[in-house]
Amino acid sequence: MHLWQATVPFCLLASAALPAAAASAWGFTDATVAVQSKGAGVNSGLKEELSASKPLSKPISLATVDTLRVTLTTQEGSSPKRPHQAFLLLKDDQTGLDISYPFTVKESGKSRVELTQKNLPIQFLSLSDPVDARVVIGSLGTSEAYDKSAFKLSIARNPDEAVPTIEPARYGKLPEIHHIFRDDPSSPAVIITLAFVGLVGAALPLLAGLWLFLGTNVNHLSTAFKSSPLPHAVFLASLVSFEGVFFLYYTTWNLFQTLPAAAAVGAVAFVSGSRALGEVQSRRLASLR
Amino acid sequence: MRWCLALLLCCLLAAVNALSSSGSRLLVVQEDSTEKSLYSKLWADLESRGYDLTFESPKSDKLALFEHGERVYDHLLILPPKAKGLGPSLTPKHILDFLQKDGNILLALSGKSATSSAISSLLIELDIHLSTDRSAVAVDHFNYDTISAAEKHDVLLLQRPGSLRPDVKAFFDATPPLLAPILRAPVTAYGYNPKEEIPSAEDIQATGSQLSLVSALQARNSARFTVLGSAEALEDQWFSASVKAPGGKKTSTVNQEFAKQLTAWTFKETGVLKVGKIQHHLATEHAERNPKIYRVKNETVFEIEVSEYAYDKYVPFEVPAGDELQLEFTMLSPFHRLALQPVRRTETSTVYGAQFVTPDQHGIFSFRVNYKRPFLTNIEEKHEVTVRHFAHDEYTRSWAISGGWVWIAGLWSVIGGFLAFVVVWLYSAPSSAANAIKKTQ
Repeated sequence: MHLWQATVPFCLLASAALPAAAASAWGFTDATVAVQSKGAGVNSGLKEELSASKPLSKPISLATVDTLRVTLTTQEGSSPKRPHQAFLLLKDDQTGLDISYPFTVKESGKSRVELTQKNLPIQFLSLSDPVDARVVIGSLGTSEAYDKSAFKLSIARNPDEAVPTIEPARYGKLPEIHHIFRDDPSSPAVIITLAFVGLVGAALPLLAGLWLFLGTNVNHLSTAFKSSPLPHAVFLASLVSFEGVFFLYYTTWNLFQTLPAAAAVGAVAFVSGSRALGEVQSRRLASLR
Repeated sequence: MRWCLALLLCCLLAAVNALSSSGSRLLVVQEDSTEKSLYSKLWADLESRGYDLTFESPKSDKLALFEHGERVYDHLLILPPKAKGLGPSLTPKHILDFLQKDGNILLALSGKSATSSAISSLLIELDIHLSTDRSAVAVDHFNYDTISAAEKHDVLLLQRPGSLRPDVKAFFDATPPLLAPILRAPVTAYGYNPKEEIPSAEDIQATGSQLSLVSALQARNSARFTVLGSAEALEDQWFSASVKAPGGKKTSTVNQEFAKQLTAWTFKETGVLKVGKIQHHLATEHAERNPKIYRVKNETVFEIEVSEYAYDKYVPFEVPAGDELQLEFTMLSPFHRLALQPVRRTETSTVYGAQFVTPDQHGIFSFRVNYKRPFLTNIEEKHEVTVRHFAHDEYTRSWAISGGWVWIAGLWSVIGGFLAFVVVWLYSAPSSAANAIKKTQ
């Protein structure tokens, strides 16, 4: 950022002051505004007479290659005179931009100013609406200064060319950011899952049916439990409780709870299993199996 | 012991008297001590606000901004010298060092004499440019005082400045990132050298609102530096003068109020932010405060307490309309940037809070509040936390995932089949078909 610091005594007002008429006033005559393209002949471009009392109705267009020229004769009251200040002021009320171009003024009051797009600050180039071009004439002393709109200036840009912009670093709020989370893992439709669960579950009845077809039975159950009831009961119970240990490990237990339980159940299964299998062997030796 | 108590009381009294948030020792650098009476209302104003004023001439041998490497004064007010420079103890380097050490400076310039080269080289360091013609003053033929400057038009009448941008708090109205214009010249104003009769077109360097009459700089350490284009604006005669714009009515000036706002801001009586308690925790009841570690996808609450200093006390800080106090949750770059909303107010502060879900990315994150705005001291807070991944027992259990049911069913059907096989193997009698095969053998 680049600030021009000025020195001047100033006073601050709490309310706006209203302008009224004064003794003599600054103004201008013989004013013309001309727009000339580069390479075109003299007096070939647009040329309009300016009036001090009311602005031109149509906006004046300034293209990239054009030169805008404003000539006028400044006068105090009705006599031509050189003022202290003679500016062409470009002002945009919407954005609050303003810039002044001083006229080159001769002693006779004859003044001219030339302007191309290169002279304009780049903030002006991106304006879409025409800016207000005002003539400002003022001087020391009591004569009333002149500040009125002369014409509207529209800055025409080649639509193919990018408008230069400037983004000064400014402290302010930044755009919000919301983290985009990864999608949660998804499962297939429950109906498909249930169909496959049904297929898997159908394996057990299929196995049972196949065994029945082959004549599988549990006819020796009573014989076995009669000859050695305890080992058989304990062995079967230990096998079921082994699965129970696994179930608990799957749901709530950790490894350190599981291992001692599995060791205890395993030892019981080993001892009772050897007795129960001894009974099975005795049945085989008796040619019952 | 009694002596100790007396000392303590003195300290307390000093603390009560110092109304600025950063100390009350104010050095006024003024070349001509006879000019002191020109600004008597300003001095009375400052003294009534609790400042200890020390007047020194830049030529004085005693004048030193530092003693043993520490600041001797908290604030510095420099009135324009007529001499070429500000003397050996106020070189641009000394003044910048003063700023570096959190000292605040109000520099007034004057159109009456040429600005000294020491001052313009100081201002260039801060990217504030004076006209190359060092005796240039600004005039405006539309907004001048017809009573005191009917001929020369060099007493400008200005409206009180509004806010700089819609989202910036207005400190100076009735109510570069570091550099901000407080008061701009009217659009029809321009600068010229009063020694020349009529300025030629080439001599006019800056016009209209490109000219700043009062500019402010707040350094990164929040030390403040204000350049006032007109020392005369602080004089008694303009504090309660009546002026008349061309064709306007007679009105009285409000320079006194503006001078108060300007000195109050420069010497850190206004626009000073203080961060109180900062808290972050899980959004569950009775959660641990400010934990070192969070998990991914935790619902988290962050709260920050902010107060603003207003002349003599801390008041709850309110974010201007259109602006936001923002929280960033960052690891290298922000994952979240959220607006902090006021949650509750205490007597001296506002608590701002936001609730969000930590991102699904583990690493070292930080809660950051980086609030830098024109005319307000900077808030820069950074609180580091670890965001860990799910622990092995924190994932969804397999039975809760419908896609896993097929595998679970398979597992249990194998277990059931195994148990059935064991029973069949242990207790099955040979079937008749099997006996028939045996017999043939």
